[in-house]
Amino acid sequence: MTSKESCRNELRHAVRQLSERGLYSASKWAAELLVGIEPETPSSRPRTSGVTPLSSTMRHRFRAIAAAESPATSTPPAGVSYVCTPIPADDVDHDDYDSYLLAKSCFDCREYRRASHALRGQTGKKAVFLRCYALYMAGEKRKEEETIELEGPLGKSNSVNAELVTIERELSSLHRNGSIDSFGLYLYGIVLRDKGCGSQALSVLVESVNSYPWNWSAWTELLSLCTTLDTLEGLNLKNHWMKDFFLASAFLELKMYEESLETYKRLLTIFRLSDYIQAQVATVHYNLRELDEAEVIFEELLRTDPYRMESMDTYSNILYAKESFSTLSFLAHRVFLTDKYRPESCCIIANYYSLKGQHEKSVVYFRRALKLNRKYLSAWTLMGHEYVEMKNTPAAIDAYRRAIEINPRDYRAWYGLGQMYEMMGMMFYALYYYSKSAALQPNDARLWNAMAHCYESAPLGRIEEAIRCYKRSADCNDAEGIALHELARLYGELGQADQAAVYYKKDLDRMDAEERQGPNYVEALFFLAKYCKSVGRYEEAEHYATRLLDSTGPVCPCLIISCSILNQIARSSYILMELQISCFHCFNKIS
Amino acid sequence: MSLFSLGGGPGSRESGGGGGGVVFDLTPHKIALCQLIHVFAPPAHHLLPFPFQSVSHHNRLGLLLFSLTRSCEDYLEPPLDELLNQLEAINGSTHNWFRDHLITDLSSLTSADDLFNFFDKIQSVLVAPDSVNMDGDQIFLDPSSHLGIFLRCCILAFNSLSFEGICHLLTKIGIYCNAISAYELVEEFNPDRVLLETCMQMQEMQREWTDEEAPMFARYTNDFGPETPTGGSSSSSFHMHSSAFNYHGGNNLRDEHNLDILRSRWQIEGYLNEQADLLEKNSSSVPLNSLNGVLSHIQKLAPNLHRVKYLQYLNALSHDDFASAADSLHRYFDYSAGKDGLFNRMSPQVPQSGIILGRYEAALLCLGTLHSRFGHSKTALDALTEAVCFSQRNNDDACLTYTLAAICNLFFETGTSRHSIGIIGSPHSLGTSTGMGTPCSTQQLLLVLLKRSLKRADSLKLTSLSAHNRLTLAKFDLKHVKRPLVSFGPKASTNLKTCPIDVCRELRLSGRVLTDFGSDNISLLNDSGTFSTSWLKNLAAVNNKNMWSIHRNDYDVFNWYLQPSPIPASVLQLAGSSYLLRSTSWEHYGSAPLVRVNALVYATCFADVASSSELSLAYVKLIQHLAVFKGHSEAFSALKLAEEKPSSTSKFQIRLLRLQLLHDRALHRGHLKLAQKLCDEFGDLASSGNGVDMDLKTEANLRQARTLLASNLFGQAEAVASNLFCSCYKYNMQVENATVLLLLAEIQKKSGNAMLGLPYALASLSFCKAFNLDLLEACATLTIAEIWLALGPGHAKRASYLVHKSLPMILGHGGLELCARANIALAKCYLSDPTFSIFTDPSCVLDPLCQAAEELQILEYHEMAAEAFYLIAMVYNHLGMVDEREQAAVSFKNHLLSLEIANEAADEELSSY
Repeated sequence: MTSKESCRNELRHAVRQLSERGLYSASKWAAELLVGIEPETPSSRPRTSGVTPLSSTMRHRFRAIAAAESPATSTPPAGVSYVCTPIPADDVDHDDYDSYLLAKSCFDCREYRRASHALRGQTGKKAVFLRCYALYMAGEKRKEEETIELEGPLGKSNSVNAELVTIERELSSLHRNGSIDSFGLYLYGIVLRDKGCGSQALSVLVESVNSYPWNWSAWTELLSLCTTLDTLEGLNLKNHWMKDFFLASAFLELKMYEESLETYKRLLTIFRLSDYIQAQVATVHYNLRELDEAEVIFEELLRTDPYRMESMDTYSNILYAKESFSTLSFLAHRVFLTDKYRPESCCIIANYYSLKGQHEKSVVYFRRALKLNRKYLSAWTLMGHEYVEMKNTPAAIDAYRRAIEINPRDYRAWYGLGQMYEMMGMMFYALYYYSKSAALQPNDARLWNAMAHCYESAPLGRIEEAIRCYKRSADCNDAEGIALHELARLYGELGQADQAAVYYKKDLDRMDAEERQGPNYVEALFFLAKYCKSVGRYEEAEHYATRLLDSTGPVCPCLIISCSILNQIARSSYILMELQISCFHCFNKIS
Repeated sequence: MSLFSLGGGPGSRESGGGGGGVVFDLTPHKIALCQLIHVFAPPAHHLLPFPFQSVSHHNRLGLLLFSLTRSCEDYLEPPLDELLNQLEAINGSTHNWFRDHLITDLSSLTSADDLFNFFDKIQSVLVAPDSVNMDGDQIFLDPSSHLGIFLRCCILAFNSLSFEGICHLLTKIGIYCNAISAYELVEEFNPDRVLLETCMQMQEMQREWTDEEAPMFARYTNDFGPETPTGGSSSSSFHMHSSAFNYHGGNNLRDEHNLDILRSRWQIEGYLNEQADLLEKNSSSVPLNSLNGVLSHIQKLAPNLHRVKYLQYLNALSHDDFASAADSLHRYFDYSAGKDGLFNRMSPQVPQSGIILGRYEAALLCLGTLHSRFGHSKTALDALTEAVCFSQRNNDDACLTYTLAAICNLFFETGTSRHSIGIIGSPHSLGTSTGMGTPCSTQQLLLVLLKRSLKRADSLKLTSLSAHNRLTLAKFDLKHVKRPLVSFGPKASTNLKTCPIDVCRELRLSGRVLTDFGSDNISLLNDSGTFSTSWLKNLAAVNNKNMWSIHRNDYDVFNWYLQPSPIPASVLQLAGSSYLLRSTSWEHYGSAPLVRVNALVYATCFADVASSSELSLAYVKLIQHLAVFKGHSEAFSALKLAEEKPSSTSKFQIRLLRLQLLHDRALHRGHLKLAQKLCDEFGDLASSGNGVDMDLKTEANLRQARTLLASNLFGQAEAVASNLFCSCYKYNMQVENATVLLLLAEIQKKSGNAMLGLPYALASLSFCKAFNLDLLEACATLTIAEIWLALGPGHAKRASYLVHKSLPMILGHGGLELCARANIALAKCYLSDPTFSIFTDPSCVLDPLCQAAEELQILEYHEMAAEAFYLIAMVYNHLGMVDEREQAAVSFKNHLLSLEIANEAADEELSSY
């Protein structure tokens, strides 16, 4: 059982314990969550931003969703019973506490080696953790420096954290003795991961989160190790409410958007005001290509937390897709003033330049983002897009390839590579990439369309394969409506008029439903009219021909075609006369 | 732009990634070399510097330093102890001085200031002496010499180092020097070391011996060395294994002290090229995973060296792993855009303008060859067609030429029959894309493409490709009759025959690659460290200080005679293939001595560079020649020798040859059951899981028909043979048609319907004439003669005329069996001629018969031998020579008996087999 009050209590303790150990991002996350719990009385909410949190429509909307799903707010959904984890008490030894204070201050000033030195010889759990963690941080810092220093003509040298061996030796002996706390386990987990022992790291991290679930950093490390659903399902996790946060973000990573959304909605019953959840929900919407919903949430988020950086790159992607120049420029300005050396801010600025068509500048900022974080996946892909615009094919291909190197399951990068080669006219070569991409994202009609186009194009001319791809695309709910039309056209070219008519009819229905008209519309009507006439279904033919007349397509050919069809059917003499007159006018106009 | 590439090939033309301007990384090993160069050429010194004992000693060190800066035997810089070992081999007694000098100097480099002073000292080596004081004997290192450039590069690299870089360098020097003490601990327990020391002790005793015995002993120690300097492929592959093993299974001590410092860029490239050569030569000698381990290690250390990915592709390709081959191939081209490594060597023009254009046509070409290698002919053709379009669009003539050649190869592999059109897609699409306009048959298309590719290769001076195209053209001319290309209009009268002169000319012209390879850009890369690499390898073999006293000069010590040929291996391979193809073409045209000579030339001159399958092909030809001309026992002993050759021969071909020989012998001896079993096995090999080899399948069916014929199952034999004829006709295998038709004639003749055999034999004859198959033609003529003989004594004159006509060819080039047949036929002609009287000249009948009997006995061909002896006995009977008659009759009886018990023997052999 968990209630708002107990959550709040747990989180308050966690924030303090985490920050005492220098785990700042986890502590920040917990604190953010703490204020995300809706207070019993609205006035007591400690908010500094001055914007009334309850003013937005979006919040109301979410509250409504949450309220609708669980009428009793304090009761978690049926079937979920959370395990209560006791909050560990801190060992306070006053003699050692002084040197701990010195070490902590040094740690806060980023003098990691000094911090570690100040705690030498101490055996308290907190002291041991801080010593090891400071050592780890010192090693990381040195590693980053070395990476820059040792960059040779053949690429980056693989510098490693030199302290890993020492830390591992100490922590593994502690682990064997059983005298290690959950923070130590977390550190042991990341050390193991850095050393490349993935499975061992996984089990240690699970141990850590089971004994102390409030350390979000441990969950994130766990998340980075769960690359498949099987690994995720294989984890033996205690049923704490923090696990739901973990599962939700894991679902998001694994592209199980519906499940993710479901979990977040459940969590919203307790953490109704959490910005983190909002941002995650918005990201899910973005991935589901529901841009409007996502945009509304992000706007609201920015209103309550104007200096927020996390997930803002996703917001900028949305703004880019919606071509909101001024909003994007405003966002870029704001993040620039907040912290310009964050990969997210560089990415946002790059997006803005890209939207303005200044691709060179955009590339400069993407490069900066990548300098700050070499593993920034979306920056590689987006930079690839910029190079495409700049017609710098090899650079674009290189950028996409690096994105794939970081995450081989990134279908966008595979698709980008396919597009590049298609642009160069290497249809056959592009097929390899499209097929990789389609294998990763089999429900995306665009990928199948692209593949079909390659098969169909001139040097290859494999119509049958193209038809099969278009059929897959049509099954995947092709939003652009390319597949049906192409299918109809290809069948028409192959002389299979029956099949062609079926697909023209489907295409026509789709266009009717979307109330769209265009050259495809005319073509479909024309074909259907002719086809119906040829198989003797005159009434239908007449129906299509009349619709053709009403269409707003290129007038003259339409008229002539319908005229000839109706003429041959020769049933409605009145229409015919009218037609002939308008035809006559048309010809006059043309000549 | 790498300055170092002044001495290197164009491979180092590009500087990697973003780190332009950096010459190479300064490493402890390079600093040690600088120190040694300082010893080698101390500034302003006269005559010999201090520690050197002689001028040759001085030169040896120079040679060692030269080799160390260029060798490509590994990708990591060697540890200090390896350098010390090498110095020991060079210096002999003064080694301790060198060792101490080097170690003290290196370990005294502990602060940044020491390094600055060190490089000041090094700088002084390069300062040219005043012309006033210039003296003839003064030692002076030319700044533009190889070592001079090396020194200058080091100084430049040091000057451009940041302070952080200097700190890192100092750390590395520390580890480099410390490693030596750790190694010494290990070496104490090293069994090889102990062995070597024992060997040295033995040699101490040996020194007191006489001078005559010394060279012999030297040979012994040479072979005893860690690397047997035989110069063949086996020794280099051994080296490859051991280095790969060191990396994987190396002891922990080595790992801990492993600095993992890469050599300079083009040394790594040279190393990769060597690995690629090894893969091409004999992929089974390079285990898939060990090379992959090495490659991923290099990749980790140098992520921007894209050629590693190409090597991964080659490795996967040669181990038949399609998925990972395709993956590596795409990755390589995505990163390098075809600009890195191999493909910038094809065309010299590199646009220096701002945006680099990729050379993705090379990617398509590689993809095409990948697919065709795995037998995806249709997909391969798609890729290659696209490559043609793309290179045309990008004006990449070189790539276009290569692509055309690749398409030709594809056509050759899938066959040029009417049916292959269905398999590899419509030639019309290719026809239009290559600008041919009118559609034509695949065969004609192949010829046109070949000629076009050849013309382009000649005009672009791509010598190797041109040689390859000529070889393909020769293959084409060998098996195809040229038809006019125009399908309408007045036709010039064409002679529907193959043209051996063309084949000969193409083969001769393809050999020109041996002299012209310099003009081809690819060959430039041969100026890599091959020489230095092998020099260092030999040095490792003579790592023994007493060598100097035994050998008279450096030439012997360093096995100069085992230095690699200055001609690139790929060129040698091409030239070798030309000899192998000569051998094959003479097989067709029917000149046994020339077949043998060419195969021998190949096996002796090109064995070092030959791929395992080609080398085994040469062996197969030689052994087959032995079997036909010297009988089975000789062939089998030769086969045993070939089988004992370690790993350099392809197992499959040798196994095939064994089956062929066994089958022939079984047929001759009359072991029909065994023959049938061997036949079945042959059929299995022909259509294995990897696909059907048409040539093999044809041969399997031929052998099947022969076996049936020998078992007197004429109907079945005829069915098999006519089926075979149909499929040969279907797949346009016209040369095989001739053989099959002859076999059909043979079957009819034996089954007693000689008259029915005649049309077959005549058809075979006309095929032979069209394809200039002289020996087969003689054989067909002989068969016709035999058929006439079988039709009655009235035709003996005609038969005799035919036999005489074929005799020169058969006696000159035919094997034992054919000669025997001709001799018997000749005798029969005389005997059945009513006007011939045996008493006038018995020798003209007896001589050929005795000759035939002798030959058939060698072959153990009991059936025909019995026939010969029967005839001999009859003749002697007529002549009234009783003793001789009895002797012949006994032989006749023996042969018949052995034929009768053959089947029982066959049972035994079957169980033993």
